[in-house]
Amino acid sequence: MTMLRTPGRRVLAGAGVLALLALTACSGDAAAEGGDGSTGRSTGGSDAAEITLWLNGTDTPQALRDYLTDTFAAENPGSTLVIEEQDWSGLVPRLQTALTSAEQTPDVVEIGNTQAPTFTYAGAFTDLTDLYEEVGGDKLLPGFVEAGSVDGSVYALPYYSGARAVFYRKDHFAAAGVEVPTTLAELGDAAVALQAANPAGVESYSGLWLPGQDWYNGIAWVFTHGGDLAVQDGDTWVGALSEPEAQEGLAEVQRIFAEGTKAPKDADSAEPWVPFNNGEAAMFSAPTWARWSIDLPECNKGVAPDDESEEATALLAEQQACNEEKTGVFPLPGLEPGTPATVFAGGSNIAIPAMSQHQELAKSLLRIMFGEEYQTMLAENGLIPANSDYASAMGDDPYATAAVDAALGAKLTPAAEKWADVEGDRILEDFFQQLASGADPATAAAQADDLITAALG
Amino acid sequence: MSLTRPDAAVPAPAVPPTGPPLPVPAATRPARRRRRLPTLGPRLLLVPALVAIAVGLGYPLVRQLVLSFQEYGLAQQFGRPAEWVGLQNYRTLLSDPYVWTVIGRSVAFCAVNAAVTMVLGGALALLLHRVARPARLVLQISLLLAWGTPVLATTTVWQWLFDSRYGVVNWVLAEGLGLEGMRGHSWLIEPLSFYLVATVIVVWMSVPFVTFSLYAALLQVPTETLEAAQLDGAGAVQRLRRVVLPMIRPVLQIVTLLQVIWDLRVFTQVHVLQRAGAPTRDTNLLGTYIWSLGGEFSMAGAMATIMLVLTLALTAVYLRSVLREEEL
Amino acid sequence: MTPRRGVLAGRLWGAVAVVVGLLWAFPIYWMVSSAFLPTNALRRPDPTFFPVDGTLSNVRRVLADPTFLASFRVSLAVTALTLVAALLFAFLAALAISRYRFRGRRSFVLTVLVVQMIPAEALFISQYRTLDEWGLVNQVTGLALVYVAAILPFTIWMLRGFVAGVPVELEEAAMVDGLSRTGAFFRITFPLLAPGLVASGVYGFLQAWNEYTLGLVVMTDPARRTLPLWLQGLVEANRATDWRLVMAGSAVIALPVIGFFLLVQHRLTSGLVAGAVKG
Repeated sequence: MTMLRTPGRRVLAGAGVLALLALTACSGDAAAEGGDGSTGRSTGGSDAAEITLWLNGTDTPQALRDYLTDTFAAENPGSTLVIEEQDWSGLVPRLQTALTSAEQTPDVVEIGNTQAPTFTYAGAFTDLTDLYEEVGGDKLLPGFVEAGSVDGSVYALPYYSGARAVFYRKDHFAAAGVEVPTTLAELGDAAVALQAANPAGVESYSGLWLPGQDWYNGIAWVFTHGGDLAVQDGDTWVGALSEPEAQEGLAEVQRIFAEGTKAPKDADSAEPWVPFNNGEAAMFSAPTWARWSIDLPECNKGVAPDDESEEATALLAEQQACNEEKTGVFPLPGLEPGTPATVFAGGSNIAIPAMSQHQELAKSLLRIMFGEEYQTMLAENGLIPANSDYASAMGDDPYATAAVDAALGAKLTPAAEKWADVEGDRILEDFFQQLASGADPATAAAQADDLITAALG
Repeated sequence: MSLTRPDAAVPAPAVPPTGPPLPVPAATRPARRRRRLPTLGPRLLLVPALVAIAVGLGYPLVRQLVLSFQEYGLAQQFGRPAEWVGLQNYRTLLSDPYVWTVIGRSVAFCAVNAAVTMVLGGALALLLHRVARPARLVLQISLLLAWGTPVLATTTVWQWLFDSRYGVVNWVLAEGLGLEGMRGHSWLIEPLSFYLVATVIVVWMSVPFVTFSLYAALLQVPTETLEAAQLDGAGAVQRLRRVVLPMIRPVLQIVTLLQVIWDLRVFTQVHVLQRAGAPTRDTNLLGTYIWSLGGEFSMAGAMATIMLVLTLALTAVYLRSVLREEEL
Repeated sequence: MTPRRGVLAGRLWGAVAVVVGLLWAFPIYWMVSSAFLPTNALRRPDPTFFPVDGTLSNVRRVLADPTFLASFRVSLAVTALTLVAALLFAFLAALAISRYRFRGRRSFVLTVLVVQMIPAEALFISQYRTLDEWGLVNQVTGLALVYVAAILPFTIWMLRGFVAGVPVELEEAAMVDGLSRTGAFFRITFPLLAPGLVASGVYGFLQAWNEYTLGLVVMTDPARRTLPLWLQGLVEANRATDWRLVMAGSAVIALPVIGFFLLVQHRLTSGLVAGAVKG
């Protein structure tokens, strides 16, 4: 597939560059240097132009964006970088359209790691194999590199990874006499024990908040026991939930569904801190940034959301400190004490669209993004940087430690061309919901495997 | 080719001697007298609409149809040549029993929803017609809010209302009505109860359009005609059937048609409820099924054609009657 | 006796209308009320029905957001352009097919009917291509073009119903009184179409005001987002969605809809009687 695709594209891109150079030569330097910013993308030559970077959501803080635009301008005199923020929810249709247009395509895009294989296989991105060693080589998060590779060539590089951790109520643990679990099995026991003890004395109390469709968390039990979602068998992918390792993990998950959680079967992983804040759950597992959503009533200072006075800021800091004092956090433990579980890694990749008319400038931006300075900045903002050498910059507070520990062993969804179809069909949501409803794990897994195999085939 | 002839059909009250009277529905009769005009005139009037539809909709639709006979996915979007596969996409879809299950569900869902929406919407239109201005404005604005508030917000709120744990619906049933069994009830886990919730939301969102359109149509019914019918001793139901319905027929027809079309391909509400926690495979309708085809644009295109055939079949009676009228 | 019973029945129906209206608006009430609640009161085992010590600060945050104003302008431009073009084009077409006979008329009617039956599921791919070829991506006119195409079929059909409902005799009577054909049409028929224009106008307004998917692929430049895209941005503005802000934003987006309706609703009157008398 790659063989078919690549040469044709090169010829085309080459012709395009020639044509553009000719255009630039005619229109003179003024146009290329213009960069007034209001007219959108300049189509000037590769020497000086305005390039566009699409970043999704708000994970990349403003300081990092400023650093990128400033550094890019400094290193590429005459050129400017425009960063456009995109929404995760609408990203795929936008990429499906904008990346096909030479006029409209951004020059560098961030893409979710589970979306990366689909676009990579489709030929949406420029081959970055030449750049791979230079920007970090095998220091780069391997699962993410795999998600952006086809046939040994790298098209989408890792950007960052976010990690999950388990949040827990220290007071509930103390009241129920439960210790922080050190193995995955202990975690299941703790959930069951807490739920039985119901230290909060509320009507519907969960040891661990685990809604029926929450496969993002549930899959960690499969991964940790050595199982997988799908495995490659020659050229084809087949569902692997029926394998004995996966089944071991699923049995533990089902026990938690039955005795360790009262979360609804018809709910997904959204906003697990709501029951936690309501005092109705002792634990939940979520990305580490969920710390900012913990808002226990006993700590709430009632600050209005638009109050930016010094007093309000101080109160909010006090409130956050109170919340974090009552809340503990630990990485999901592995099979043996002291080892972390293999959790599902969420994060993103970064790539250069093949249609971009500014390939060299785009690569220059990537070099900046993979430089020590920017990688360190990512880490300091609580994101696990693409280059694991810089993860230490995340600091050593319990949240950072939990995040790094979890990230070290984290695993991604299979890097199959059609993995997006499995997510589109919501096969795993349905499967975990069946487990939550008490279905036999072997039967349900066999069914889900068939669906996964069909979707990936 | 350029012949513009006066219409043979005539308004009921004054019968001019220009041809045999034809069985035309009363409502369309007044318009049946056509003008003699140089042929270019009326066609020029169509040009702006035709151009806009052709560019914005027609050409893309043709492309979608063409795609359905190719293998066209994301890779083809990025330049890989599209291969012609003839009817392969159609065969794949139609030989999948799951597709037929989804079609069956969708037709049933559409029938129930379109019927409930039309009846409720019509009833509210009559109610609007009946009441004085203040009450009318209250109802109109309420309906407009349901229709005009961003779907993102309204679907989220509905999701909250039916939330098994914190939902107001369960709270009212358990606390207000003392139905203890409804505490923490999962509305979305059983397909039937899922469709009930979906129907509530779909009807809530679609009734305003029906009511507004039908109410506007009702305003065209002359009060004198109604009064005359009343003096003739016609009861309310008879007046509705004999006078009102025939007069609002064109609008009623197009609104029903649209309702059938929309309810057959209903997407947003079902999608949001699935995301909220319903089992996906057991609740898919055509709209969400096509969505799950994702980047396989040719399959989605083929499915779209299948849905067109389905829609044509469901609305055949109406289409025939329209064509018969237009032939005159 | 009879008149009093009529008054009583009228009041009764009025009460029914108000109750139905309030019931219908309950989810909207819930939305607005949640914009005033503290975050940790949004979803509790015991729902909060009245935000008694609520705060207006979320609405203030929305209004103070510069991107809101920018998106508001874009949405207003797209909607106005869509509405004017769609109503005008549809009116002309409806006039042609309901007042004149000509060959091709039947095909046109059939096209209008069938075109709205074709599911548009994979359509945005092709629509984007078309707009891109014409340089209309990220342009208000480009988005308005696809919106006009989308609402035209219904609008034509709706107005056709209304034009058909106005007896030709009325126009002819006016012509006997010395008006030209065009004059008769605009003096007599046009005012009678007002309810139809209002109903189609509200429909078109809402379609253009609230559409998401096409806006998403056509307007990728953050400076040219329409309001639904801006609202989606609010959902993702914080890693954990601040629903109060989203609900406040939605309420603010819905207000112009009500404003537009109040502006045009006095046209929603029974026009035929007045017209007939004047004619």
